[in-house]
Parts: sequence; C-alpha cells; structure tokens
Amino acid sequence: MHPRSPKILTLVAFSVTAWITVAVSQPAPAPAVAHPLPQALIFEHKETLERLTILTKRPGEVGIKAREVIAVMKRHSAREQEFILPPLTLLPLLADGKVTPDMAWAITMADRIKAEREEIFNERARITDALNALVVAATRTHDKEAAEFAEAAQADSFSDAELLEPAVLLIGEYLRDKLPAGR
Amino acid sequence: MSGLIARIAFTVTLSVAAPAAVYAADPAAGKAVFQSTCSICHSVQPGQNKIGPTLFGVVGRKTGSAPGYTYSPQNQAANLTWDEATLDKYLEAPRTMIPGTKMTYAGLKDAGKRADLIAYLATLR
Repeated sequence: MHPRSPKILTLVAFSVTAWITVAVSQPAPAPAVAHPLPQALIFEHKETLERLTILTKRPGEVGIKAREVIAVMKRHSAREQEFILPPLTLLPLLADGKVTPDMAWAITMADRIKAEREEIFNERARITDALNALVVAATRTHDKEAAEFAEAAQADSFSDAELLEPAVLLIGEYLRDKLPAGR
Repeated sequence: MSGLIARIAFTVTLSVAAPAAVYAADPAAGKAVFQSTCSICHSVQPGQNKIGPTLFGVVGRKTGSAPGYTYSPQNQAANLTWDEATLDKYLEAPRTMIPGTKMTYAGLKDAGKRADLIAYLATLR
C-alpha cells in the first residue's frame, strides 16, 4: 500500500469539504417560485384595485356591491398572479427569438391554465354577475363613476379571456416545441 | 240555476284566461332586465358590437352571425336560430347550451324575467 502524499490528501480533503459545503448550502426544494407580472398589468391592476377600493367606501348599495366585486376579483387576481399572467413577461424575449431552458416554468403555468380553464371561466362569470349588480346599484343611485368603472372592469376581464390567456397558452406550446424534450 | 251557469262560465273563463295571464311577457320589464343585466356587454344599436354582439335583431337571427363580431368557434358552429325557445334555454345557462361560448354570464334563472327579456329583444328590429 502506497502512502498517500500529503498533496493528494489535501486535495481529497478539500474536495470532500467543498462537496459538503455545496450540499449544505443547497436550499431545500423550494415551493413554486413566484414569478413577476408584466409591468403594464401591475399598473393596470393597481389602478383597478384603487378605484374599486374607493367605491367600496361609498355608503349604501354601491358600497355593498363594490365590496362583493372586490371579493370575487381578489380570488381571481390571486390565480392570475400565481400562474395566468407571469408567462407574459417572456413575450418580449420570445418575440426577439430568444428561448432558454430556464423558461420552462412557463410551460407548467400554461398547462395549469388549460387544466383549470372551466374554473377560470366560472370565476369570470361570477365577476360579470357582480359587475352587473354594481351597474344596477350605480344606475339606481345615479353614480356615474361606479357605472363607468364596472363597464371598464368588464372590458378588462374580457380582454384577459380573449387575449391574455390564449397568449399564455401559445407561449406554453411554443416553448414546448422549442425546448429540448425533458427541458 | 242561472247562478250555477254563471259560476261555471266564470270558472271556465278563468281557466282559459289564466295561462295567458301567467305567461304574458312584458317588454317594458324586459327592457329593465336588459339594462341591469345585459347592457354592460351588449348594445341594442344596429351594428354596434361591444364585448358581446349587438342584440338588435337578435330574435330570428342565426347563432354566430352578427356582422363584425368575432364569435367563439362553438357559437359559430351551433347552427341555431335565436327564437323564444332557444333564447330561453341559452339565457338560463349559456355555457350549458353552448359549451365554449364567450358569454361570461352565469345565467338568468328567473323564467319570468327571461320571458320579459325575450319579449323586449323581439322588439329590437
């Protein structure tokens, strides 16, 4: 048996230490990473929430109906932030022809939209109903601002269904096609 | 005897008249339903599509046929004519009758309100 040279021992010791250090410093499997939303949508959502919050403080029926709207919208908004809207942040890169393996998370999100499409639609139907009720209250009390808000919010909700969600589904399919199998 | 005949005549008249009274739809009430429930997405002006297609002339129109409106493929393929019966079924639960329709509305569950609304829509021509 040949004695190991101090140099080799040092090297082995260093390797083991380095390996242990790396292993220890590796974070535990993290829960799903929260991805940012496109800036434009952050601003739009902030403005909608601010306007709606003002309406919730109105006395009487408009305030009550606005609070009902905010409740259904918040539920939907959580879903949007979690997996409906983040893939849209990739659009500018994809439009420039850039596809990298670290974009694979968007495929998972797009697949989730596909799986939960019916539920998302039903949620949107509840928003429409709540906005209709707000319009009724606003009309009855001659609250033009509340009625205008409801109409604009309905248009936003529809734009999500007609433009944004299909765009995310396309992003998912595009990435699935472009990224190597197994990602 | 004449009292009995009169009573029978009254009963017969009532039984004949009653169904008409129960099902008489009111376009004016339907207009109110439209304004509170549909107008956020639909116009009644000819050619003016909003989030949903214009409802001008909807009664008697084929599904998916309002000019200038982009329908869901399912609505286009439904191949129905909007009449009292089809509208009643659709308005009660749009997604049940035409799965995949873009109409994000849960449905008008009150049969009387639906009848009023359809009576109002029938005036839009």
